[in-house]
Amino acid sequence: MGLRKRSAVLGAAAGVAAAALAIAGCSSGGSSSAGASSSTASAPKTLTVWRMGGSVPSQVTWMNGVVAQFHKEYPQYASTQVKVDWIPWGNRTTDWNNALSSGKNIPDITELGNTDTPTEAASGILAPLTSDLSSWSGTKGLVPGMLANDTQSGTTYAVPWFGGVRAVWYRTDQFKKAGITSTPTTWAELQADAVKLQQTYPGTTGFDAITNDTNAFASFIWGAGGQIATQSGSQWTADLTSPQSEAAIKYYVGLYTTAKVSASKYIGQTELGVAGATSGGPNEDFGLGKLDLYIDGPWAKATLPKNSVDMSNIASFPIPSENGPNSAPVFSGGSDLAVFKTSPNQTAAWDLISVMDNPANSTSFATLSGFFSPYSAQISASETTGGAFNAGFAKAALNGQTSPLNAKNWPTADNGKLNIIPTMLKQLMQGAPFASTVAAANTQLQSVLNTGSAS
Amino acid sequence: MVTSSHSRPGTPSPAGSTPPPSEPDGPRNTTKRSAAAAHWSIQQRTAIWIRKHGVAPYLLLLPATAIIGALIVWPAVQVGLFSFQNYGLMQISGVLPAQWVGFANYSQILHDPEFWQSLKTSVYFALVVVPLTMIIGTLVGLLLVRLGSKMRTFVSVSALLAWATPAVSASVIFVWLVDPDGGVVDWALAKLPSWLGGGAQWAGFSWTNATLPAYTVLTVMLVWTGFPFIAVTVLAALRTLPSELLEAARVDGAGPWRTFWKVTFPILRPVFLVLALLSTIWDFGMFTQAYIVTGDLGNRDEYNLGLYEYSQAFTQPPHYGLASAAAFVLTIILLIVTVGYVRAAIKQGSLA
Repeated sequence: MGLRKRSAVLGAAAGVAAAALAIAGCSSGGSSSAGASSSTASAPKTLTVWRMGGSVPSQVTWMNGVVAQFHKEYPQYASTQVKVDWIPWGNRTTDWNNALSSGKNIPDITELGNTDTPTEAASGILAPLTSDLSSWSGTKGLVPGMLANDTQSGTTYAVPWFGGVRAVWYRTDQFKKAGITSTPTTWAELQADAVKLQQTYPGTTGFDAITNDTNAFASFIWGAGGQIATQSGSQWTADLTSPQSEAAIKYYVGLYTTAKVSASKYIGQTELGVAGATSGGPNEDFGLGKLDLYIDGPWAKATLPKNSVDMSNIASFPIPSENGPNSAPVFSGGSDLAVFKTSPNQTAAWDLISVMDNPANSTSFATLSGFFSPYSAQISASETTGGAFNAGFAKAALNGQTSPLNAKNWPTADNGKLNIIPTMLKQLMQGAPFASTVAAANTQLQSVLNTGSAS
Repeated sequence: MVTSSHSRPGTPSPAGSTPPPSEPDGPRNTTKRSAAAAHWSIQQRTAIWIRKHGVAPYLLLLPATAIIGALIVWPAVQVGLFSFQNYGLMQISGVLPAQWVGFANYSQILHDPEFWQSLKTSVYFALVVVPLTMIIGTLVGLLLVRLGSKMRTFVSVSALLAWATPAVSASVIFVWLVDPDGGVVDWALAKLPSWLGGGAQWAGFSWTNATLPAYTVLTVMLVWTGFPFIAVTVLAALRTLPSELLEAARVDGAGPWRTFWKVTFPILRPVFLVLALLSTIWDFGMFTQAYIVTGDLGNRDEYNLGLYEYSQAFTQPPHYGLASAAAFVLTIILLIVTVGYVRAAIKQGSLA
């Protein structure tokens, strides 16, 4: 689930591709330290890497650079071909399941969303990487929280590859015309600004209070000081009925029902429209100037429509908390790299990961794709660069949280099977009684997190 | 009496009615037999054995049986087995053996409020769509029989195009028609005068994210794609009606309404029964259209049984066992409905 399904359909602008070439060329010349740790295993003919999303030219170029470097650092694989298959985010679990159950067309390496990792590790599709990581030079620089997400009872099943966070997108020209002088830092200001923008630009929608993006909605619960659920030992306690969480739910629902700054069509939608869509919805509306404020990550720039209005004025600010002045904690999304358990080329697969994910390569990848690096040192370095569009994301990245969105049973709670929080928000926006609807969702959530089933 | 002969046009001819071995072969073989009994080839011996034991019909049925067996019976048996097992990812990949769990899957399904919610949606939907499709289809059929042959061809071909539209295409078209941004339906409704129910409240109205509007769209779509088949079948049946019966009714002073209910409907009742049965099976088991119109699996509160079942099997983590149990419950419901129809048909047949 990571950066939320198709978020990583990161088609990138042509300009970025040029930059990528430069960066990739740079890094392949620079670092040749990681090699030599290699094994004696015979070289496989091909290594298959499953990437998520649609093929992006700049990322293909980046990968070619990495493969050249891989051949150079590990001469024993000089004849090994690296094949990249692009898997749409929406198909990933089906494709993993099919590969695992049929034993055919299996990847050696797969990218996976960071919230997928606990579930997939538990379902037995990932090879343990603990011993490889203990001898790898990159390990100690990784953000500890990101690595912990990939570790279960002392065994690590994946390596963080990049991270990403959401923030609120806005247009500086619109703020100026509406007389908004500083970005909002509280809920009240956010709502007031949405109202102002809606009035200044009649016919537009102020804010996208979508129901089907829990990764974004979580920031409102956290920004009120609440939690979705907390864990003690192995026991989960759902926390949607705490006063803080209820305040967040009430505020978010109220953006549509009482403040009327969101549209009815966003009920039941993700940031890209209906659940299976890879473009459209608020993302498209924002690009076309029909939506004034919009929550998403920097990667979503790639899915904006081609005829978008005046992209030079896009900027971002972190999602406000209830009372400010600090912004709300934000869901730390991202992707990991892992070795498929049934791959016959375990050693070669890890060796390729060690090149793809070394500090130089993962950082150049993150930069060209709108993500941040999984290495602490590189994240701090990038905060000072990036300009207005990246400002909000860089600030938000410092205040990340993943739990409970990486819980083992979270996919059951939040995907098509039960959609607990999306359905609750939807029912409330469509007029269901508040207390009983939230209480029912809370009971269901707790049951699913603990037992994997609602009944 | 008339019943059985008139049911033919509307129904596929029963699989059992394989023609008996053709007459001309009989005598020829008999003469051969007496002539050169000792020199028969293997083929001839086989032919005789087949004839002697009367297995020809079964041999002719074999290909169809094999295909149905491989594509329907075998998967159904598998689904039946899965429904009593904890069949999931670990089991399908062979990491763990499947365990028998008795009726646990069925009990979990039957205790799941989401199941009852989606069952209710499916039942209400079929209760609305089946009669609507039948009524509109029959009316169009009655219209078609009165048209001249050119016009009849034109109208039935036009109608059948709707029937032939693939479910996915039809769904996408309807989703576009009711799109809140620039869909023609919202635009037209907003332009309508208020005494016709129109007005500004329709501008930007979202049809697909609540159960009632979404299933209203689905109702219109399924009636649109479903009525032509009914109409053409009813037309075919109407053309077999003995014209003297209709004439007699007219002479006796019966209007069209009375003629339909007193003459046409009783005679064509078996056709209507079969059409109603087929429509029920199609509408109750609807999946594709609902999947697209309600927005993938993003709206749990809008599930019907098909979507519920699919979400159990194919969202992460997959519960093939649970989904199999749900599929069997759906099958059993449809079997009960079918048995009801068939009983009604038989009763009708014996009365006639």
